[in-house]
Amino acid sequence: MITFENVGMRYGMGAEILRDISFSLDKGSFHFLTGPSGAGKTTLLKLMYLAHRPSRGLMHFFNKDMATLERRDLPRLRRRIGVVFQDFRLFDHLSAFDNVALPLLIKGAKKSDIASHVEELLSWVDLEERMHARPATLSGGEKQRVAIARAVINKPDLLVADEPTGNVDPSMSRKLMHLFIELNKIGTTIVVATHDDELVKSIGAPILKLSKGELEQVPGSRELTDPAPSRSEIYTSDLPKPTDMKAMS
Amino acid sequence: MFRTKIAFLPTTKQSDTLLPWVIAVMLFLSTLSLVLAITLGNGLNKWSQGLTTSLSVQVINADSDMRTQDTTQALKMLRATPGIEYADIVADAEVLEMLSPWLGELPTENALPVPTLIEIKLISPDSVNISALKQRLKTISSDIRLDDHQAWIVQIFKLASTIRWLLTAVVFMIILSTISIVIFGCRAGLATHKESIEIMHMLGAEDDIIAKSFDQRYMLHGLKGGAIGTSIAAIVIYMISNLIENLDTGLIGALLPQSSNFWWLLILPVFTAMITMLTARFTTKRALLKLM
Ligand SMILES: Nc1ncnc2c1ncn2[C@@H]1O[C@H](COP(=O)(O)OP(=O)(O)OP(=O)(O)O)[C@@H](O)[C@H]1O
Ligand SMILES: [Mg+2]
Repeated sequence: MITFENVGMRYGMGAEILRDISFSLDKGSFHFLTGPSGAGKTTLLKLMYLAHRPSRGLMHFFNKDMATLERRDLPRLRRRIGVVFQDFRLFDHLSAFDNVALPLLIKGAKKSDIASHVEELLSWVDLEERMHARPATLSGGEKQRVAIARAVINKPDLLVADEPTGNVDPSMSRKLMHLFIELNKIGTTIVVATHDDELVKSIGAPILKLSKGELEQVPGSRELTDPAPSRSEIYTSDLPKPTDMKAMS
Repeated sequence: MFRTKIAFLPTTKQSDTLLPWVIAVMLFLSTLSLVLAITLGNGLNKWSQGLTTSLSVQVINADSDMRTQDTTQALKMLRATPGIEYADIVADAEVLEMLSPWLGELPTENALPVPTLIEIKLISPDSVNISALKQRLKTISSDIRLDDHQAWIVQIFKLASTIRWLLTAVVFMIILSTISIVIFGCRAGLATHKESIEIMHMLGAEDDIIAKSFDQRYMLHGLKGGAIGTSIAAIVIYMISNLIENLDTGLIGALLPQSSNFWWLLILPVFTAMITMLTARFTTKRALLKLM
């Protein structure tokens, strides 16, 4: 679904941050992107969410060649890609609700559809109580979930998350990973950048390993391990079931 | 396609709040200049029509019989000239009255030789070749003089039209500076909201959606500033024309702005809003093209 061939990337006239990156992501796959700080994870993700053009190499998104894409084709393509930014990038003057509603407004969805859809998703990420709060009044984990809700509201084909567990405690990070796996189960291709080796090991997904601008691929185990607490433990309403997510569409 | 505006821009940012006031000042100045230019034009038209179709001929021979003879001949010639609506002798009494401010009350009719005045009305300002007419009057007698008011009218005209050009230039300069100010303001706004614009792009927003937020904001600034500036200018103009009216001088009276002529003042704020909107749209779209 997404392929990179010998992609190189540099900022301005600087040194190449990424060199000869080649990989492909199948539809419905789940990958971790790891590497030390400064290895170029965010840079690679930026290429994946179409924030930059590569300095060289070929990129295909949903069978479209990036080289031949015009600028005006980008918005349509970007709407198929959900992004959770490393620093959330929520709009501070908008409520959680309005932040999450934004991609739908941009798409030109009907007001009435938007309201029900957004409320549903926010309660799915356990934020129905904080729906009308501004980001400034939300905790790190809550902001994280708003950012994730905004990234998935359009049911993207590709979800790109840049260190989505960077600011939260281990239990919250497990909850968020569970959320991504649920999304993956309904067919969303997912790439999660992270520093957290424990997390990567525990899930068992294939890994894109970046170091010094070069990519190494590590295959994962066949079945992903869902880090959610088992049903016998406190599996309460705050964690959504896959069936809920399907019903949403 | 109509779309509701997406409120991704915070409602107040300091860099923006000054703009309506700057626009108000600009509109105040340009409204005054415009009204002055138009009033001047109207006044000039009225004067020139009044003056350039009326000429006067003076027969200044001191000898009363000769004067009468010259006058008769001149009248005959003038009345036969095509392009002249009428030519009539101004009664001596009237002439005396006209002279009285300079000469005082004159005792008797014939105590002083008074030049005979012939008043001429042309059909239109250019219906008669004035210098040819002068020449022909001279052949009748060298004591006949044609007074046209062309000379000083031309001077006044030159002055007035220079002023009008100046005022028009002023209006254009104000429009250009307003546009520049909006461009600068808009660029500052784009820089301030760079991050928000990037996020909007990443969420799949087209340039149009983003530009719309900006141009609507600037349209409102323009409307607000335009309304304030034009209103104040209208009040000032109203007060000044009241003052002029009290002067009751024909010459200046022609320069009185007439309220019925100034309905277009209402359009100015809308016009300003359109200019600021288009400027903002153009500026934003150009800037957005530089982003991916
Ligand atoms: N806009 C930019 N202009 C110039 N250089 C940049 C820019 N963004 C990143 N870099 C450089 O590119 C390199 C890779 O940065 P990147 O943000 O991709 O790393 P990362 O792997 O995401 O790091 P971290 O784990 O700390 O988030 C770094 O050396 C960084 O200094
Ligand atoms: Mg990073």
